[in-house]
Amino acid sequence: MNHQKIFESERKMSASTPSKLQSIPEVRAAIAGGKTLFLAGSRQALSQLPRGNWVGGTICYFMTEEGGLVSEDHIFATEIPECAQDVRIVNYGRGNLSFLYSDAPHNGITYLVIPASTRVHKAFAEQAPSFDGFLMHPVVGWVSGVRMDRLGSELPAVFNGQTGELLEKKAVALHVALPGNKQAELDIVSIFKGGDGDVIHFKDEGFHAVGCLINGKQANLADYIVAKGIRTEFPLVGDYCGCPVNVSIQKVDAETHCVDLYAPVFPGVDYRFAEPVEDYEKAFAATLGTDSETPAFACNCILNFLYGKLEGKKTGNVTGPITFGEIAHQLLNQTLVRMYLREVG
Amino acid sequence: MLPDANHPAWRQIITGEKALHSSKATINLFIQSSKMSYARDSSSANLDQLISKTHGFFAHYESTFSKEIEQLIFESSENL
Repeated sequence: MNHQKIFESERKMSASTPSKLQSIPEVRAAIAGGKTLFLAGSRQALSQLPRGNWVGGTICYFMTEEGGLVSEDHIFATEIPECAQDVRIVNYGRGNLSFLYSDAPHNGITYLVIPASTRVHKAFAEQAPSFDGFLMHPVVGWVSGVRMDRLGSELPAVFNGQTGELLEKKAVALHVALPGNKQAELDIVSIFKGGDGDVIHFKDEGFHAVGCLINGKQANLADYIVAKGIRTEFPLVGDYCGCPVNVSIQKVDAETHCVDLYAPVFPGVDYRFAEPVEDYEKAFAATLGTDSETPAFACNCILNFLYGKLEGKKTGNVTGPITFGEIAHQLLNQTLVRMYLREVG
Repeated sequence: MLPDANHPAWRQIITGEKALHSSKATINLFIQSSKMSYARDSSSANLDQLISKTHGFFAHYESTFSKEIEQLIFESSENL
């Protein structure tokens, strides 16, 4: 099964944190009531909220209990656990992004939302693993986007509810300190398997791939994809010591022989094209199993929603935003991320 | 109990002499990151830095990753 839990699943579970799709008045009331919230909704919906302890990002695609949904009138609200000892909201641009992990509390969880296709998105994708504190402080979140029919005409954005700022070029983080008996657990769920196909290596990191080594021989990735008739709705699967890190294909240009990617590839990682998945709903049900525990937060990828035709279809028992990129420590693609709060000690 | 930074296990997992089998993504992402850094720069200075970082990582998560630490110590002792 391609999902990896960061901490032992046998640990005692804490009470789940309420996370659900709500109307705008309901979210306004929660903010007025002093709740600290991590929000996902359309620009129009989030713009109607008052100042308060919340951060959010633009998206109008959701996993709900009834199935995949497109809505600009609802907001998916994740309530920060009542046990939180301290909450801090920080905006991050390229200048201070390297402090993201070191700013996080010693024991806690950081919720992060980044606007898609920005310099801070690219910087996070490429550089996060080199930042101080990477993997020492759990960071969960997603990349904000727009309705697919507004790509290019509207910009993804994030909101800092404390200051009332709408940000199109910066990310915003909600750093939450947890008491010593609580620990955040991140779970990376991929329905894709790398299989036993050709092994691909890249010499350079980045969102664009031209030359590569395929089974140790120099090759061009675009030519390889065309020659092999590879279905590019399925990602490259990077093998991180057994943990699958997917890299989705954005575009294959047969003329320039260049492949554009939704996340960077890195040298030193074994990549294979994923085995085809024909029924995403079944694949998620099989991968997620009968786990009845409700995550404190979850998100899934817009590519899974689109390629898997998940509108109206369930993703196991998981609900949350459907996003332009998922974050569990680092940027992920075509992946479902879950976060749990565990009782430890 | 966490072995000190001089224990050979830390070096072995960075250089790939030893594989640590875990279902935990944080560990696997960490080891992959260390291996990639070592592949880029295999100098003794970088290796020392990576050993220190790896030891610090497992110290931070000692109670959580106790099974993996046991695995490291046991298999390293067998190979000594």
